[in-house]
Amino acid sequence: MTTVSRVVAPVDAGWKRFAPWVGLAVGALALQAAFAGSNAFPGGLDTLISGPIDEAGAWMRENRRSHPLFTGVFMPISDIVDWVVSGLADVLAWIPWFAVVAIGAMLPITRRMYRQALLVAVVMGYVGVFGLWELAMATLAVMIAAITLAVVVGLPLGVVASRHRRVEAALRPVLDAMQTIPAFVYFLPLLMVFGIGNVPGVVATFIYALPPLVRLTVLGITQVPSSAVESSKMFGATSLQTLVKVQLPMAVRSIVTGMSQTIMMALGIVVLIPLVGAGGLGTAIFESLNQRRPGRGLAVGLAIVAIAIVLDRIARASAERDPLKRLAPGAMAGLAVGVLVIVAVGRGAGWVDFPAVWKPNAFDPIDDVVTWLRDNLRGVTRAMNDFVVADVYLPLRDLLVDVVAWPVVVFVTGWIGWRLRGAKLAIFGAAAWLVIGAVGLWSATMDTAVQVLLATLATLGISVPLGVWAGRSPRLESVLSPFLDALQTVPSLVYLIPFVVFFSVGMFPGLIATVMYSLVPGVRITALGIREVPVESVEAAETFGATPRQILLRVRLPLAAPTIMTAVNQVIMMVIAMVIIAGLAGGGALGFLVVESLARSKFGQGVEVGLALVLLAMLLDRFTEAAADRLRPPAGS
Amino acid sequence: MGGPASEPRIVVDAVWKVFGARCDEALAMSREGVGRSDVLEATGCTVGVRDVSFEVLPGETFVVMGLSGSGKSTLVRCLSGLTDVTAGSVRIDGDDVTSMSSSQLRALRRSKLSMVFQHFGLFPHRRVIDNAAFGLEVQGVSKVDRRARALEVLEIVGLAGFEQHYPQQLSGGMQQRVGLARAIAVDPEVLFFDEPFSALDPLIRRDMQDELVRLQDRLQRTLVFITHDFAEAIKLGDRIAIMKDGVFDQIGSAAELIRSPATDYVREFVRDIPKTKVLTARDVMQVGEGGEQRVHADVVVEHLLPQLLSSDSVLDVIDDSGRSIGVVDRAAVIALLEEQV
Repeated sequence: MTTVSRVVAPVDAGWKRFAPWVGLAVGALALQAAFAGSNAFPGGLDTLISGPIDEAGAWMRENRRSHPLFTGVFMPISDIVDWVVSGLADVLAWIPWFAVVAIGAMLPITRRMYRQALLVAVVMGYVGVFGLWELAMATLAVMIAAITLAVVVGLPLGVVASRHRRVEAALRPVLDAMQTIPAFVYFLPLLMVFGIGNVPGVVATFIYALPPLVRLTVLGITQVPSSAVESSKMFGATSLQTLVKVQLPMAVRSIVTGMSQTIMMALGIVVLIPLVGAGGLGTAIFESLNQRRPGRGLAVGLAIVAIAIVLDRIARASAERDPLKRLAPGAMAGLAVGVLVIVAVGRGAGWVDFPAVWKPNAFDPIDDVVTWLRDNLRGVTRAMNDFVVADVYLPLRDLLVDVVAWPVVVFVTGWIGWRLRGAKLAIFGAAAWLVIGAVGLWSATMDTAVQVLLATLATLGISVPLGVWAGRSPRLESVLSPFLDALQTVPSLVYLIPFVVFFSVGMFPGLIATVMYSLVPGVRITALGIREVPVESVEAAETFGATPRQILLRVRLPLAAPTIMTAVNQVIMMVIAMVIIAGLAGGGALGFLVVESLARSKFGQGVEVGLALVLLAMLLDRFTEAAADRLRPPAGS
Repeated sequence: MGGPASEPRIVVDAVWKVFGARCDEALAMSREGVGRSDVLEATGCTVGVRDVSFEVLPGETFVVMGLSGSGKSTLVRCLSGLTDVTAGSVRIDGDDVTSMSSSQLRALRRSKLSMVFQHFGLFPHRRVIDNAAFGLEVQGVSKVDRRARALEVLEIVGLAGFEQHYPQQLSGGMQQRVGLARAIAVDPEVLFFDEPFSALDPLIRRDMQDELVRLQDRLQRTLVFITHDFAEAIKLGDRIAIMKDGVFDQIGSAAELIRSPATDYVREFVRDIPKTKVLTARDVMQVGEGGEQRVHADVVVEHLLPQLLSSDSVLDVIDDSGRSIGVVDRAAVIALLEEQV
């Protein structure tokens, strides 16, 4: 940030200080007066985007089997991906279940990570015991295919980006966008190109999982100390030798961190891909949602967590470079032979499928508890629901959609952007709204924005105080940590189920699920910001006799403010992703439109909604980031 | 001291290194005598090395001494081809490093050069033996041969028995011994040292300096050694260049620098050096003969003090062949001691 020189304005005396605010108020009021009564965004451009896309979609449907673009490019890609996924699924189904467990546990064992091996075996056992083995294997096949694809593409991309600054600069915004855009947005174009099935599921998962891998590969390689690279050069190593013998081995740790993140990202998507016709555990979650069975939803959710654990531990084990921890070659060979014997015996004896001991209904008592709670707390829950929906959400939405004229929103957004960072951000903000209006999604987007606002405020209201507290109390943080981990790994969709049971379909259960889902980064990053306040600053304040309260308000919070703003940014991104998913539970607005477009193959509408979502996400992302920058103390040189 | 007079191994001729996008412009300005900070302000370019020329003879240890920011690390990177020079030439055995293609440069490095780095630059994912064998490995030497050679050089630097360790399991001094072993394993003719001992504790540093002196006595290679420590420069260097703001203030042997510092800057460094420990009988002798006792010309003055200060005697200074070449008396060393205070 050293290049940004901010002019520190002198404190103006008197009215001048308020001039911008007066300008804002006057401008907004004038626009409101001028446009009052004609609140709706002028139509006429609605079909500008959706028209051609619908035509393209129809064209694709007709020509999928004949046009060279499909027969020569997309179909082969699709065939290969399909072949890999179904091949993997077949292999996983062919191998006896206990052999799959043995293979999963073997890699950690070869690195002497016995506890991890045990963990892998236990969680895989869990999956089998609850009758989810087949679905889990299907999900595993999709995950392995998507992650392999991410590694095959991401690693070379990361290597190239680490060596050419220009490639890196070009790649960065693309990767940013890939992570900012809610996953649903990918689904529709992929559906258009690849048709229904596993392939768009794998590709969507791959797209979402790629950025962390590329980023951390670049980071890993650029972090290799220059002395190591120089000494390699000095001994006459070619650049390929330097890469293979020095840079990649030294970057492995970082790359594996990228892999772990990739796995987490992929899991978030893998539960949603039944929407494009792919199978696996996600189907079971959707079923649980439709049947209102939170117990079963939890069982399936935990099975997904189990797969995350298995893949993560295997990735970590295979990245363990310390040969001191490796088993002797003889022992490894023995292990491999053992696994082969297990496979052979299992096949020979015909013990292939998991002998499901319990069925997933083992979790059904949870359903009863939730139902009982619902029936007995109806008075309270109904009141909560009604208050939030009728007294907060609806009035706010109606105010913004029906009362405030659209030019006012554009003007205020531009004004804030200008105050935060200048003309560029102002123009971007205003233009984003204009595009959203032009494609005919003004009220739906405004509706979603209100939901995002409410969910964000609620999330921050809980997570920032909690984070401040956790940042000052390591004990609280260690107590919270496992809960936060659990909240983060359980697939977002699972949260919806109990709240839908509780509150029935509507905006409120989605809102609560969204808050639950988005809490974690809020707490974590805030705690980090508070903890990272330099000890000297706190000690200096103590020396001057500041009370703990004064230290918090005058030292810790101001110094942690930019980090907390980053937390706000992260929370908003999570909220947007989840608010859309809440559309599945009757949240309405853009979320509903996305689901509808997917279900009815309304390509044009889907792409427009995707565009509106992306613009809304980018708008909030950039504005909060700019706000975080303003809070940062000027950098020294 | 010094090699026999022969063709210089390294010839550095009017080398400039300017960092920044507008380096041509900055170079032109600098050549007209515009100062470093003015050039930076006008062009945004930093002048790292400014018109440096020198020669290094085979078997000689040439030390470049300067404080941080003086351009000494940049200079050694120009010599080794890790950085491109902006102007001038660097010849090693007559071949111009600055105009080489990357494959020629690679061939030169494989056959003749080696380097020891300030932060060791070891590979944490390789065992000590494979670190030492790295240079041979990239040359394509077979595993058996390169490991045999690596064991040999690890033995030389006193690391026998540690070959199966990983670098991070060793102390800082031992890590730099690995760096040293790696550098000599390829049997280079020219070795560059970029502040190799500055990250080490003082005692370990002294050990490593002694080790290097011992090695150099045995191997007689051409060394270019970068340091910010004047005492280290004096201990190791046959000749020393004092570098400041990208320029050489003075080149000379330790005794020459101490006897006749060319600039105030050099004088600053020399001032704190105990001269009696550096200067030899040769440096303080006068014309004459007839001393009561004989002393070799290379003996440092400190060792003469007891004799000269206890009695009013005069010592005969002799050279290698035993011929008398001058005398040292009490007055000469007292003058030296007074200078020191």
